[in-house]
Amino acid sequence: MTAAQVPLAAWLLFAAPVSAILFGFFVMRRVKPEWTHLPILLSCVIVTAAAFWLAADVYTGHSFDLNLFRWAAAGAFGVDFGLRIDGPGVAVLAMVSLVGSLIHLYAAGYMKGDAAFGRFFLIFHLFFLAMIGLLTANNYVQLYLFWELVGVCSYLLVGFWFHKESARAAALKAFITNRIGDFGLLLAVLLIVLQFKVTHFHLLYLKAASGVSFALLPLIGVCLVWAACAKSAQFPLYFWLPDAMEGPTPTSALMHAATMVTAGVFLLVRSWPLIALVPGLPDLVAWIGGVTALFAAIIAGTKKDLKRILAYSTVSHLGLMMLALGLGQVGAALFHLVVHGFFKAALFLCVGNIAHALHQSTVNVDDVGGLHKSMRLTYLSFLLAALSLAGVFPLGGFFSKDAILDAAWHHGGPLALMSMLVAAGSAFYIFRMLFLVFYGARSQQKDAAHVHEAEPILGIPVLFLALGAAAAGLLKAPLERFVVSGLRGLPSGLPGLNLVLNLPGELFLPHLNWIVAGLGTLMAALGAATAWRLTMSDPGFDWRWRGGVAEAMFESDFGWKILIDRGARAVSRVADCIGRVLDKGCLDGLIEGMAGLTRAAGTLIARSAQGRVNDYLWWMVIGTALLLGRVLR
Amino acid sequence: MILPLTTLWIVPLIGAAVCSMMGSRSKHAALIFSAAFLAAVGIIGLLQRPTEGLLVINEIGPAWAYGISYRLSADSLSIGLIGLTAFLNLICVIASWELEVSAGYWACFMALSAALTGVFLARDLFFFYIFWEATLVPMFFIIGLWGSSNRLHAAVKFFLFTFLGSVLMLLALLALVSAHHRATGVWTWDLAVLDAGTLGSAAPLVFWGLVLGFAVKIPMVPLHTWLPDAHTEAPAAGSVMLAGVMLKMGVYGLLRVALPLFPILSWDALPILGGLAAFSTIYGALCAMAQTDLKRMIAYSSIAHLGFCLLGVLSRTSQGLTGGALQLVNHGLTTGALFLMVGFLYERSHKRGLSDFGDLASRAPYLAFFFGFSTLASIGLPGLNGFVGEFLSLSGALSALPVLAFAGMFGVTLAAAYALPAFQAVFWAPAGSGSVSAKVTDLNYRERAVLWTLSGLMLWIGLAPRPWLAWFEPALRGLVR
Repeated sequence: MTAAQVPLAAWLLFAAPVSAILFGFFVMRRVKPEWTHLPILLSCVIVTAAAFWLAADVYTGHSFDLNLFRWAAAGAFGVDFGLRIDGPGVAVLAMVSLVGSLIHLYAAGYMKGDAAFGRFFLIFHLFFLAMIGLLTANNYVQLYLFWELVGVCSYLLVGFWFHKESARAAALKAFITNRIGDFGLLLAVLLIVLQFKVTHFHLLYLKAASGVSFALLPLIGVCLVWAACAKSAQFPLYFWLPDAMEGPTPTSALMHAATMVTAGVFLLVRSWPLIALVPGLPDLVAWIGGVTALFAAIIAGTKKDLKRILAYSTVSHLGLMMLALGLGQVGAALFHLVVHGFFKAALFLCVGNIAHALHQSTVNVDDVGGLHKSMRLTYLSFLLAALSLAGVFPLGGFFSKDAILDAAWHHGGPLALMSMLVAAGSAFYIFRMLFLVFYGARSQQKDAAHVHEAEPILGIPVLFLALGAAAAGLLKAPLERFVVSGLRGLPSGLPGLNLVLNLPGELFLPHLNWIVAGLGTLMAALGAATAWRLTMSDPGFDWRWRGGVAEAMFESDFGWKILIDRGARAVSRVADCIGRVLDKGCLDGLIEGMAGLTRAAGTLIARSAQGRVNDYLWWMVIGTALLLGRVLR
Repeated sequence: MILPLTTLWIVPLIGAAVCSMMGSRSKHAALIFSAAFLAAVGIIGLLQRPTEGLLVINEIGPAWAYGISYRLSADSLSIGLIGLTAFLNLICVIASWELEVSAGYWACFMALSAALTGVFLARDLFFFYIFWEATLVPMFFIIGLWGSSNRLHAAVKFFLFTFLGSVLMLLALLALVSAHHRATGVWTWDLAVLDAGTLGSAAPLVFWGLVLGFAVKIPMVPLHTWLPDAHTEAPAAGSVMLAGVMLKMGVYGLLRVALPLFPILSWDALPILGGLAAFSTIYGALCAMAQTDLKRMIAYSSIAHLGFCLLGVLSRTSQGLTGGALQLVNHGLTTGALFLMVGFLYERSHKRGLSDFGDLASRAPYLAFFFGFSTLASIGLPGLNGFVGEFLSLSGALSALPVLAFAGMFGVTLAAAYALPAFQAVFWAPAGSGSVSAKVTDLNYRERAVLWTLSGLMLWIGLAPRPWLAWFEPALRGLVR
């Protein structure tokens, strides 16, 4: 295959956003900034169409992987940039483009009238472009490029309302934490270059499948997992994500559903053939995922800020995806990623609608209650998405979560227990949110009688996303085929491959297992019932338990946030110490001191030569005396 | 007879002379001569593209006493760095176009370019040394006459500190030349002929003398304390030349003199030198975090960036060397742009503290855009130039000195921790009391043109670094271990 044979759709994937951004930046921003979104929305349509076109291509067996140009070369070393359009990539790509485009449409309504409307849309679209690039990269260096671009765009969007102190702090926290994770990815890429001499995914798979053992592979694997933990907000690096909702709500929706946090999971999907080779590493990934999923679900159940509840929910669901990956269920992880994209985007945008109706940037459970009458469409969308999240049959979330629960069930042990508890926890926090926001209102909540339903441009994208979340279960079969077609391209003999294709035939997503499905539904019902008990039959409970040790514990994420803050402060104190005391005081002081010493010595010597004849006479006398003494001895 | 290389350093020198005589019109002369200089480099570069093998132009004069001879030679490394010099010189002239300065200012910049060009061309160590020292004089005046409040102290410190380094270098060179004479009976200063093997047991001493001389210039921690003062007090354009080209002399010296003359000794010294380089990346970044003055922060970040460069160069792998050489150019562009913008801020408000501004993103959006862009390039965002150099340098370093490369990588992470808070404090935070943001007007067309050029190059190198790497590679091939 040559560059000329690359389908038009693949070119459009990049050409449309790039030209929309350039046109917006150079022309629209000056001429008519309030229309900046028009070319960008057009580009969204083109990208979505192109993505589905490519998905259809891949579905019919036409995936490809092609180098387009040599990016950098030195000596025997070279890195090519190219395109990899394969099953896993295109499955996520289709979801990202569809969900992302709907969020773009929503943002056009949500951000209307903002002074920096143009800037917002340009960065927003660049964010989208970065994710498309990440999903179609065919080697690690290219992936790293878009990975970092995703990080920078999220930084600019989280800090979009930079007049707010909290937005600036959150942006910085997000970027630096991601940068700490990127350390892992950069190191992994460098080590891959050192060990394998290539960075191209497919060549790496071939080398990994050759059966030769590679000394650096465990280290590479650990670095990749570390990087994924930062981007996909997993313990120990998850703490940036809950703060990152300081940006405008469409940003949160895009970040949580489509463009940012899924990148880490996708990195692991791409690297899975390598990671699966390292003994013990998949277990580590599973444990990280399981622990994060459980704890984040617990914390999500205690938060008052609506976006914060959803943020912890994202952390928890990403944990589930990691758990699936760790158990070798690449397909289940991808499936859940796609379904999660729909319901999480819908939930965030529902919160956006509420915030918009209240003219606030964030909403607290104190602010509203009993919205189900005044905001019917938002309520309906929220309900669909929430039921999907909680894993209620027959909505999308049921199928994707079931696949993960099934994997954990077959693995057994603590992970199975944890996954069941997560199922209960997620039903609890989402139903608690549903009841608190849409039913009531309670005496502690403000009256929401004046609240009006959102305009159509805000309501309709949300409804579509919610419908997507409800129907996403239908995607199970196509997704299987996508992943299988992606895997078919992998060299045979790859141990990771056998782990992935753990089931006979081409079916790799588990069949519906009645025990697991029943247990999962039972857990969800349990969670929902608890939520009912604590919000509806005892409406004051959510306000009563607060204060004291329990809230402090949940607010500090079981103490982890405090540790992180201490660590950050320690680093800046060390920097201060080195910069001010050591460098300026000691080192420079020493050098300046030497100059001072020289000057002092100079003055001293100069004092002995001030042109006074008397002094010189005395020197002469002393000198003569010394000479005489020497001679006469 | 055409002497292309002599022309290269004579053009700016004539420019200096003309500038000093033109009085109030001298800036026009400076503009014409710096454009001519850049054109001359461009023509030579284009005519002698290193398509196959090495690009080398030689000019050899007659031998004088003690074997001193006028001997110039240019390969792609030299032409590349001279191109950087000429380019930044032109940028500096355009950027300081509206400054109220005397003719001497323009003459000093032209003279500085002439001397720098000489350093990159000379292959006779005597002339190398002469040009090397000659760079100090114009820079001394640039800092001392047109700098800010504490300029005299900074100028003297700069001069004495770097002069001390040069003296060590001179002693090493004298020892080398006389040892060669003793062993072979021939006086020569020719870099290609001199053989460090004649030094015998004195070789390590001479090697370290040379290295110290270069390390002061780079500057390598702990020999760096002249740099923050010099940068802080120098005028913006002076900082650009200082960071953009003068620091590169140190790395160039290592590449051109120390490594080829002492291939084995330099390999043995690798743990120490590489250790200091890796240490510089972390130390520079930590120091930058503690600064409250924009210029000092950028100065310390230079120390960190040059650390990456050195790690690459010292690894003596083709990625490392080529990436390190490209990083020289990258750092010149990125840090140059940052220094220019701090200069623009200083021209408008006479302040450059991190807490003196605030809210500039709303008041001066162009400035915010370019500053943000250059900051991202400087912290090594992929897709922009800084990443290419860092990636290749670290990749080379990782194969030769894994532990040190690993340590150096912390510098990449720390870079975000000093650059972005500074950006936020100046551009995003609300203007506090005592803020001078009200005085800051946005960039005018001239300033924007300069920054578009620089940013365009950053993006080009980041997206398609291959031609740039291919340019430098042939000259460095001989150094690969």
